[in-house]
Amino acid sequence: MTQELLPGTLYMMVLRTLASGPLHGYAIARRIQDASRGGLQIEDGSLYPALNRMLVKGWLKAEWGTSDNNRRARFYQLTPEGRKQLEREASDFDQLIKSIQLVMRSA
Amino acid sequence: MFGEILRKLVHLTRRNRFEEDFDAEIQFHLETRIADLESEGLSKEEAVAQARREFGSRARASEETRSAWNFAGLEQTIADVRFALRSFARRKTFAFASILCLAIGITANALIFSLVNGVLLRELPYPQADRLTSVRFSPPNQSDQKLGSNSGTYFFVRDHADVFERTGAIRITGFSASPDAKGETPPEWIQGAWTSTGMTAVMGVEPMLGRWYADESNPDLVISYRLWKRMYHGAPDIVGKKIYLDSIPSNIVGVAPEGFQTMNPDIDLWRPQPDRNLANALRSPNRVFFMFARLKPGISVEQAQIRLSTLEPGLGQELEMNRGWGIRIESLHDAYVGFMRRPLLVLQGAVLILLLIACANAASLLLAQAAARQKEFAVRVALGSSRARLIRQLLVENTMLSLAGGAAGTVMAWFGVQAVLRTTFAANHALQDVSLDWRVLAFTFAISLGTGLVFGVLPAMQGSRPALMNAVRESGRSLTASVSNSRLRGAFVVAQVALALVLLTGSGLLIRTLIRLNTTDTGLNPRNVAVIQVPFSRTFYSGANRQNPTGGLLVLFDGRFDALSERVRERLEQVPGVLHATAAVTPPLGGAPRRVQFSRPGVNISESEQGIWSAEWYPVSANYFETLEIPVKAGRAIDSNDRQKVRPVAMINEAMARQFFPNQDPIGQQIQLDVVDDLPREIVGIVGNVRQDRYQTRPQPQVYVPRTQLPSFMDMTMSFEILVPSFIVRTTGDPATVMPALRAALHDVSPALPVSSIRTVEEYAAGQLQDVQQYATLLSLFGGISVVLALTGIFGVMVNTVSQRTNEIGIRVALGATAGDVLRLVIGQGLKLIGAGLTLGFVVALAATPAIGSFLWGVSANDPLTFAVAAAGLAGIALLVCYFPALRALRVQPVVALRNE
Repeated sequence: MTQELLPGTLYMMVLRTLASGPLHGYAIARRIQDASRGGLQIEDGSLYPALNRMLVKGWLKAEWGTSDNNRRARFYQLTPEGRKQLEREASDFDQLIKSIQLVMRSA
Repeated sequence: MFGEILRKLVHLTRRNRFEEDFDAEIQFHLETRIADLESEGLSKEEAVAQARREFGSRARASEETRSAWNFAGLEQTIADVRFALRSFARRKTFAFASILCLAIGITANALIFSLVNGVLLRELPYPQADRLTSVRFSPPNQSDQKLGSNSGTYFFVRDHADVFERTGAIRITGFSASPDAKGETPPEWIQGAWTSTGMTAVMGVEPMLGRWYADESNPDLVISYRLWKRMYHGAPDIVGKKIYLDSIPSNIVGVAPEGFQTMNPDIDLWRPQPDRNLANALRSPNRVFFMFARLKPGISVEQAQIRLSTLEPGLGQELEMNRGWGIRIESLHDAYVGFMRRPLLVLQGAVLILLLIACANAASLLLAQAAARQKEFAVRVALGSSRARLIRQLLVENTMLSLAGGAAGTVMAWFGVQAVLRTTFAANHALQDVSLDWRVLAFTFAISLGTGLVFGVLPAMQGSRPALMNAVRESGRSLTASVSNSRLRGAFVVAQVALALVLLTGSGLLIRTLIRLNTTDTGLNPRNVAVIQVPFSRTFYSGANRQNPTGGLLVLFDGRFDALSERVRERLEQVPGVLHATAAVTPPLGGAPRRVQFSRPGVNISESEQGIWSAEWYPVSANYFETLEIPVKAGRAIDSNDRQKVRPVAMINEAMARQFFPNQDPIGQQIQLDVVDDLPREIVGIVGNVRQDRYQTRPQPQVYVPRTQLPSFMDMTMSFEILVPSFIVRTTGDPATVMPALRAALHDVSPALPVSSIRTVEEYAAGQLQDVQQYATLLSLFGGISVVLALTGIFGVMVNTVSQRTNEIGIRVALGATAGDVLRLVIGQGLKLIGAGLTLGFVVALAATPAIGSFLWGVSANDPLTFAVAAAGLAGIALLVCYFPALRALRVQPVVALRNE
């Protein structure tokens, strides 16, 4: 079963995925799909506008490098600003989920 | 935020590279995915299909990625601007007419705002100028009057007020000044200021060259920038040079910076008068000092006024002469330019009205355009454009029009400012700093943008109405839309007529004021009369060896003054072309005469009446009434036999006779004038009333005394006035032709006599009316423009109506309507709009005209005649304008009209 994405959560997931180190776009897409065990309905193509918007905001920077299969690939990596944003979004998200759960259980 | 813009800008420079990279990135993604899927066991075709499915639309990804780097809305706006430009190119007449309309309105606003900015919004050139104040004193029961101070009053306020950081006072006198000792350069009569201890520190400005004098160093002085340029031609080594004032040398120790001003911009030098010298004149009632003060930080003028008011009782106790007087403080800025505030704000209001009328015209044009563009809009909506999108497009168009109008307006205003400064306002000191600076430009820009919104929003909403969208199906006519369209345009016409009437009434009132002022008899004949002011040297009186009863200084005039004065008068009378010559202290119809109190021996005056027993006081020499052609109504005129040591006489005017000698003959009666040492005078003649102050509403009591019969001892202030006699000559022809001969005659009598001015009475009397004249000129100009704009609006609407109703008219004519019926139909509609506009304008004008009430003379702010003439005139030309479209309606051929159907 696949789920629609909550608005804004794609940024957060990308930031989380990149927290452990630089990755290229394809790898980010695979990690998110694998980690969610295919539970999220994201078109791979929609990842790229999101990545670019985050470049504009200054949360990420991108550099060209060489992939595992020895091809030229664009690697994305968190900036300090992006790391702060991740913390902010993660804690906001936790708060949101907890609140929703509280409502759902009490009702 | 800033970082984002920067990154986007950097991106802009490598856009092509980015496109390629992005393609490569996606290619990599897809190929890697395909390879992965193949390694999971899918066939090549299956792998490709699945990879594509997972990726989604490649075009959308690429589009959205690109838009991530775009400036939000910018490209859209650029597209709108391009579209608008193309659209204007197709509709040149419309674009030109709209821009012209708006440019007229914006020009007027930029012009007046540059005056407001230069006069009212400019800070005075002193450090913390907002803390500088002027302190004045108001007589009992006349709180709106602001008079100067005497030394005792100044000391009292200085010592008792706790709101001031520093205080100072100045006293203004005239000097006969020359840069060299022997009078090689003819002396020039200049105004100077004696400054009290601490006065220069109040202003807080250092001289541009040199330094301020020390308070005790009497022969030292500082000259103005203007005098430095004029008398010393800007000599760089000016400090240390001498200037000769009444032939006595003084040291120039500094030059004040350009624009430095105390009291008025005509003061050309400042010299110290230490407070201990002032103390000698402690009890003098003469209010010859002007007090200035710097407020303590954090104290407002209002707070200071409250504190100072509490000092008033103490001031009255300390000095008897100050009983009942009030202390009035105002900011220095108000003291200098406060008198310009109301005229300028009224003018600014007038041009805003003008702009509104122009906006209504532009909006009306837009509505007409919107009707013509219905099909275009409908097509765009049909092709998927949203209403918001359409409104946005229209607003961009309108803003472009108003910005173009603003740009044109700025250029025109630049020329306008020069013209206004050169002509109507040339003589106004307060306007010297007017220019188009960044504030004016910002104002013009803001008002242009605002204009674009004001006139653009309604038509944009209207033009994009969904109802219009039927138009695409029909033949381009949509009845409902055009009805509400013309209703809106009708409303604009009503507003235009109303606003135009307001401006027209305002200017009408000022014009009537001017006519009243110019045609009301002044009581003398000012034609062919020249007045020469000749400042006599101070050596004509000797030092202060007496004091007046209240302790003021008295000076002694000896006989030499009268002798020289009479010699000058006689010499002037001999100049060919001169009919009569006389001398006086106050120039006729120019300057304010001294007022004196008087009493009648044997007549008791109650205390409450005392203030009323006063009259304008004119010391004159022989031939005065002959020269000015003031009619002697009874008795005789003052002549050369009325000399010193002869029985003192006086003449009074009819107003004084009527008011103070009711039902009796004043001739032969005695009056006692409240002038030091003056003896009781016998009234020998009655003359007609003279309107010395053109704005006075009632004739003032006036008393004339022979100049030669004044007491020898005079108090200081009076002596300064006496010392600058005005010689008055009546010439046979134009006085201008005689002026060189008059100068030569003066030189004959004494080469050392400086001539401060030689003018005709008509010239300077007209100068008195200059304020009203400038005001009336500008308001009438704006009124005229507004009428033209309103008429254009009416014309446009009527033409539109006729073309919209062509079919209806055709049908009516086919059914037997006469030409008269058609005319009535069309003009009737115009009449309705004009009538509504006039009614509305009448009400608004009634409420608005009191704003100029203080500039009116002999006309009330709601003068029925002015209102009626303005309304009737406007109605008349408006109807005339309706007539031409109506004629067109007459030519409608029923067949043609019906064929359109």
